[in-house]
Amino acid sequence: MKKSFAVFLKRNLAFANLAIVTNLEYRLNYFIDAFVQPILTTGIEVLLWIAVFKGAQSETIAGFAKDSYLSYALWSAFFARIATSWMYEARMIEEVSSGSINSIIVRPMTFYEYYLSQFMGYKIITTLLSLTVPLVAAWYFDLPTIYSRIPLALLLCFYFLILVHTISFIISTFAFHYTKISSITAAKNLLFWILMGELFPLDLLPEPYKTIFITAPFASGTFVPVGYIIGRVEIDTVYTGFISVTISLIVLNLLGAYLWRKGLDSYVGTGA
Amino acid sequence: MALYSVKTMKYVIETQDLTRVYKSYQKPEGLKNSIKGIWERKYDTKVALDKTTIKIESGKIIGLVGANGAGKTTLLKILSGLVVPSSGSATVLGYKPWERNNEYLRQMSILLGQKNQLWWDISPVDSYALLARIYDLNVAKTRQRVDELATMLDCKHVLNTQLRRLSLGERMKMEIIGALLHEPRILFLDEPTIGLDIVAQENIRNFLSNYVKEKGPTVILTSHYMDDIATLADSLLLISKGNIVYQGTVDEFTNNTNSELAHDEKVDFEEVIRRFLETESRVR
Repeated sequence: MKKSFAVFLKRNLAFANLAIVTNLEYRLNYFIDAFVQPILTTGIEVLLWIAVFKGAQSETIAGFAKDSYLSYALWSAFFARIATSWMYEARMIEEVSSGSINSIIVRPMTFYEYYLSQFMGYKIITTLLSLTVPLVAAWYFDLPTIYSRIPLALLLCFYFLILVHTISFIISTFAFHYTKISSITAAKNLLFWILMGELFPLDLLPEPYKTIFITAPFASGTFVPVGYIIGRVEIDTVYTGFISVTISLIVLNLLGAYLWRKGLDSYVGTGA
Repeated sequence: MALYSVKTMKYVIETQDLTRVYKSYQKPEGLKNSIKGIWERKYDTKVALDKTTIKIESGKIIGLVGANGAGKTTLLKILSGLVVPSSGSATVLGYKPWERNNEYLRQMSILLGQKNQLWWDISPVDSYALLARIYDLNVAKTRQRVDELATMLDCKHVLNTQLRRLSLGERMKMEIIGALLHEPRILFLDEPTIGLDIVAQENIRNFLSNYVKEKGPTVILTSHYMDDIATLADSLLLISKGNIVYQGTVDEFTNNTNSELAHDEKVDFEEVIRRFLETESRVR
């Protein structure tokens, strides 16, 4: 049992390494993804909140000052980028629809672990590099940030990533039956944009929506970790986030396993 | 878990009435039918493999021959665990392939000549390092084995080049190394020489011939090049429209069918196969 776990671990570290090696093969694309996109997204969100406060003619909105919103915009852009899956979900769908999945099915590994480890490897290395952007900006503009809370906030976000991957896994099983389904990714990420709290802090919503949205697992991608870092939410909400993600993981993994089995039953080994 | 010890098995591959039916969407011409297809789709069914029963002994090299669409690849896909059969049963090394037991997958390899199985964006050496982890191989020994296989295939100079930048022949050599790295007991080769020039075909043929002599895996080989079959196979499986129509040795087949189909005219193996398949197509 111990040996099989060691084999599993080594294998998955190799998958994570594969993600890094593959992405570094295409330096320009990776640099834009890791640095340029987060800077642009942050810039857009910061400008949006500056405009909101200028229009509001008020020092605070819902009890929080402009600095709090600017800090939220800065960190939410960073966290939302971590917590969203575009590239890997697209690859998973493509693998199934094009038949490249053949090379995974016939090897002693699972599609789920193969992509989860790659996804995590890619996100970890990208996070380490792009974390410099909000850190430098928060320090330079002296925005409200509780630096000691960053590790736990990142931990919650990365735990949430397993859920994101599970959802991508479920979506990719649809490709066994419908072939082209990239529009589902676009629609899902648009929904995530709101549910995670990237667009605006979820505590601005009226009750009961506020409680529902914050308790839902999606808030653990952006609103809860960011709110925790800038002092908008406390540790209880972080714990709720962990519980909510855990429950969702159990339910969605069961669903994913069922859909995967159904998908493989109808699979024709495309392209070979 | 294996049903019984591989060492005691006479037959490593056994199938009984193995059948696979494919369903494909039929789209009649025109915009009107595209709109209608949103809620009402028509499907056509095709029997790719029809009640196939075969038994293959350990250590044999089987040439699986048939025309396009005869069911060769479908049979390989089922035996390798890629595709689930519609009905019937099959065991390979005592495992049901489509259950994809890791123990089975560690002992099996499939090479699909028309599909890359190594990683497109990285170099072959990086792919092999990854395969060593996937199959739980000793990394140092794997490197040594890659070196040996690449020397035999005369392709050491491209091991560090990104796969996507290699020629078709070089890529196939890399794929073959990747398929043999874990020394599989069962090897499915689906058109391993497709699209290659005569010299490259011969190199790969010689390499495979030496490899199977040395390691003794059970091999099922499909190819449209009859030289591949004549050189490598010691048994033949002829498949036509999803049915196995001949199962026996290459020599028996050539001798028997030479008199029947070639009317005692002395023709080579390729010609015999061609005439046989033509006859089968007419009969069915």
